[in-house]
Amino acid sequence: MPNASRKIVAVGAIVVLAAGILVFPSLAPNPYILSSGVLVLNYAVLATSWNFVGGFTGYISLGHGALAGLGGYATGLLATKAGMPSFAALALAGLLVAALAVPLGMAALRVRGASFVIVSIALVLILLLVFQSWASFTGGSRGLVVPRPFDLTRPEHHRVFYFLFAGLLGVALLVWWLLDRSRFGLGLKSIREDEDKAEALGTPTFTYKLIVFVVSAGFTALAGGLYALWFGDLDPVFQFSILTGSYVVLMALLGGVRNLFGPVVGALIVGSALEYFKVEYGDTPLHLVATGLLLALVVIFMPDGILPAIGDLFRRFDRTRRSSIREVTAAELRDQRKAAV
Amino acid sequence: MPINHFRSTAAALGSATILALTGCSGDGSGGGENTSDPIVVGISLPLTGDFSEPGKGVQEGYEAWAKVVNDKGGLLGRQVELKILDDQSNADRVVADYEQLIGKDQVDLVVGPFSTRLVVPSARVAEEYDMLFVEPAGAAKEVFEQGFKNLFYAAPAVANDHYNHLAEHILALPPDQRPKTAAYAAMDDPFAQGTAYGLKEKLEAGGVKTVVNEVYPPNTTDFSGIAAKVAAAKADVLVGGSQYQDGVNLIVALQQLGYQPKLAAFSTAPTNPEFAKAIGNKTEGILSPTGYSQDAPYESNKEFVEKFKAQFGKEPEEDQANGYTTGQVVAAAVTAVGCAEQGECQKKLVDWLHSNKVDTVVGPLSWDATGKPQGAHMIQQWVGNDIKIVLPSDVKEAEFVYPKPAW
Amino acid sequence: MLVLQSIVLGLLLGGLYALLAAGLTLYFGIMRVVMIAHSAFLILAAYLAWWMHDRFGLDPLLSMVVTVPLFFAAGVALQRLLLTRLRPATLTMMSVLLTFAIALGVEGLLGYAFTGTQRRIQLGYGSASLELFGARIAVVKLIAFVLAAVALTSLYVLMKRTRFGWALRATIQHRDAARLLGIDTERVAGYGFGIGLATAAIGGTALSLDTTIYPSLHWHWIGPLMAIIVVGGLGSVPGAAAAAMVLGMAQSLLQIPMGTTWAQTVFYVALFATLAFRPQGFFGGRLAQRF
Repeated sequence: MPNASRKIVAVGAIVVLAAGILVFPSLAPNPYILSSGVLVLNYAVLATSWNFVGGFTGYISLGHGALAGLGGYATGLLATKAGMPSFAALALAGLLVAALAVPLGMAALRVRGASFVIVSIALVLILLLVFQSWASFTGGSRGLVVPRPFDLTRPEHHRVFYFLFAGLLGVALLVWWLLDRSRFGLGLKSIREDEDKAEALGTPTFTYKLIVFVVSAGFTALAGGLYALWFGDLDPVFQFSILTGSYVVLMALLGGVRNLFGPVVGALIVGSALEYFKVEYGDTPLHLVATGLLLALVVIFMPDGILPAIGDLFRRFDRTRRSSIREVTAAELRDQRKAAV
Repeated sequence: MPINHFRSTAAALGSATILALTGCSGDGSGGGENTSDPIVVGISLPLTGDFSEPGKGVQEGYEAWAKVVNDKGGLLGRQVELKILDDQSNADRVVADYEQLIGKDQVDLVVGPFSTRLVVPSARVAEEYDMLFVEPAGAAKEVFEQGFKNLFYAAPAVANDHYNHLAEHILALPPDQRPKTAAYAAMDDPFAQGTAYGLKEKLEAGGVKTVVNEVYPPNTTDFSGIAAKVAAAKADVLVGGSQYQDGVNLIVALQQLGYQPKLAAFSTAPTNPEFAKAIGNKTEGILSPTGYSQDAPYESNKEFVEKFKAQFGKEPEEDQANGYTTGQVVAAAVTAVGCAEQGECQKKLVDWLHSNKVDTVVGPLSWDATGKPQGAHMIQQWVGNDIKIVLPSDVKEAEFVYPKPAW
Repeated sequence: MLVLQSIVLGLLLGGLYALLAAGLTLYFGIMRVVMIAHSAFLILAAYLAWWMHDRFGLDPLLSMVVTVPLFFAAGVALQRLLLTRLRPATLTMMSVLLTFAIALGVEGLLGYAFTGTQRRIQLGYGSASLELFGARIAVVKLIAFVLAAVALTSLYVLMKRTRFGWALRATIQHRDAARLLGIDTERVAGYGFGIGLATAAIGGTALSLDTTIYPSLHWHWIGPLMAIIVVGGLGSVPGAAAAAMVLGMAQSLLQIPMGTTWAQTVFYVALFATLAFRPQGFFGGRLAQRF
């Protein structure tokens, strides 16, 4: 596919996606559907935030649920204990979690692969313990009630937060896109392809990984904080759940981690599927089996995600294009470099 | 989307704001009260996940209630239909469930889920949709501190008041018999902790020293550490703020360490039918507060026990009774006010309940402005091979045994 | 007195941790796979023991006659049929997700088959105990410990004294070199996985003797086990066993001043401290430096 038509497809996809997201609230037949829309958008933001680490560096974190929970609790605690206005609390919560991500990242990213995953799981479990046990500060199992930022009826409340989540998603996508095109992004991708070679060629791999981890944590915390303002009741068991993290990974992988919109598409599919499974097979724990099965299928058969898989399908008919094992051809790379400078 | 779930009555009479704001046009069949339409009661219960066991108990209670009501011709001449969703014991889900029941399925009434953790978020949904919310399980005091105006707890007492009769009795013992020290072990759960800490407060005020105060997470399976502490402190009184299995585990761990308290009280666990077998039948003298007794003399209780046995082939327990009571409370309000749909009607139901007393299988119930019931729980004790009411003395079935025989 | 009691309890707990961590370490050593589903299989084995006891009145220890071979076969199948399909370049990451997916599936199926109700085997000797220097040792805990100790010792003997153990260690140390020596590394890896999963069967039986089980219990175990294998140095079986004993003991002793909940944090503190100051682990683990 030549560059021009590629751009048209990309722009078209963006327009369709944006229009779809913006029109949805007026089409939603009842507040329940609208609230499901908020949940799906929340997942989309989480999956996109996750993809800063997963997509650029190939490091798979199962602990992003914990960062979101942390963002939620930070927002809630700043609003209730420090009496801050809701959205100031949200912004500060994002910064705080990003700052916390620095030492976390330093411990987790020093070692490759296995340890990183272990740390990410441990993060969820330890935060659950701490937030559950430190009841005098966090409310513990009694939960934390986050004050409503606006005095609205419930359907209006959903509508406002729907657009807030859509806005946050837009910002996260924009930042991802900018990073993707930058020299910095190129360095990150070299880590994904071969960390040793990247390091040998002089890429400061550790710093790069740390920066992108911090950005990812910040966005995740903002999503978690916004969720807290929307939902209103925080409980450690549900905020620090290992399932949230796994859903996010599933979404990103299913959509495709190398793709700007991959995680969003994944979130739409998995988020709707979760809701569907819930409505149809709600009274059995088979939704866990379904999630597990889907994740296993993606990992074994489609590790690059659904968007590239569909792309491959089209390309199979398009014999003129020569397949390359590289993600970009040398010529494209040169163009990208020119554009980035 | 199953269109038949759209309730025409609600679309016609129901909340105009919701419809206007979401652009919902109703289902068009509209128009007036139809007496042949069933009254749909929306419920979300934990049928899977951590609270699934009590959740299923509450479900049976609701089902028994619906059957009894329908066998008598329904409410306001309309049949009662339950729409039960599973919240997987998850707070996100419970909110989505009530959102779905009220917003999408347009049910006429909603009643509560199980577990305090789920009651607060779901009550908020009901509150923000101006729905009456009678609930069978949110016993912790936090539930009543959220400023909910539409919430009613359908049981005799909140968690912190469960042991009131026991505390009175202990403190009234002659000084030479009165226990000196107490050990508390409570699950980190608002309900379970509430029961233990309600008693702790009263005993401490009465001069019984607290020597151990342990809180364990709900997922704890190994109780040997806690048991070691309790046993080492040799407390006279042992209070377990337990659900079911944790209480059993704690008792077994204490038995392994050979600890013998003079008095042992556990919330919930000892009333479970499996309890005696689970701790090797060494139950003699174990205490438990209860809000419900199958032998209670209240008029509707006989009917409940009889019909429940016929329907499910077993005796109803406290969870089942709670569900049934919730139904009774709602039914009383609906019958008195004469309506059951979303909108204006809900406010009338709420107002009626605030100013009236309702007769139920757990006795007459009335509520304060926060929806807190105004009563106390009975205290039961294992005597012989059965659990019997020992306090308060006017309803007792057996004498209070103290000190407790060895287990 | 309380301290002595806690030391005894810590020792008994550490033994079980050691056995389970040994299994996890084997997988990692053989294939660089972090097996999240290990503790899910642990719970599965415990459920099978409970079910056979509940249904047929079999002593839980007898259930191992069925579960150990079954789990061994499942382990071999898992390695040969699923893990080998993953791309070598992203094996570590993707295997985490794959085994995570398996864990979810096992949890869901357990919930489907046995509901979320907490279960516990009721044994005639459930509350019996022995006295030792003033500390009390529950018989069931002692049986669990002996089971773990015997299994660990057999594993040690198998790895150090047999021809298969020699091949397994060679495969762990240097797969390519092992292949050049004529070792069928694929098959050895499969058997190694089987042995790893068999430890979960034994551990699950031991677990079922004295604790309550429920489908989502495996999350409760996976955190401490992960911490143990990192602290022990990924890939080192003796390291994992040593770390398990130390951390199990620490957890039990810390319960006295800190309470049950906070005492659990010792695993995570140890994990973060290890990664921050000594990423290769404290007990050997040449492999960990590269992973």
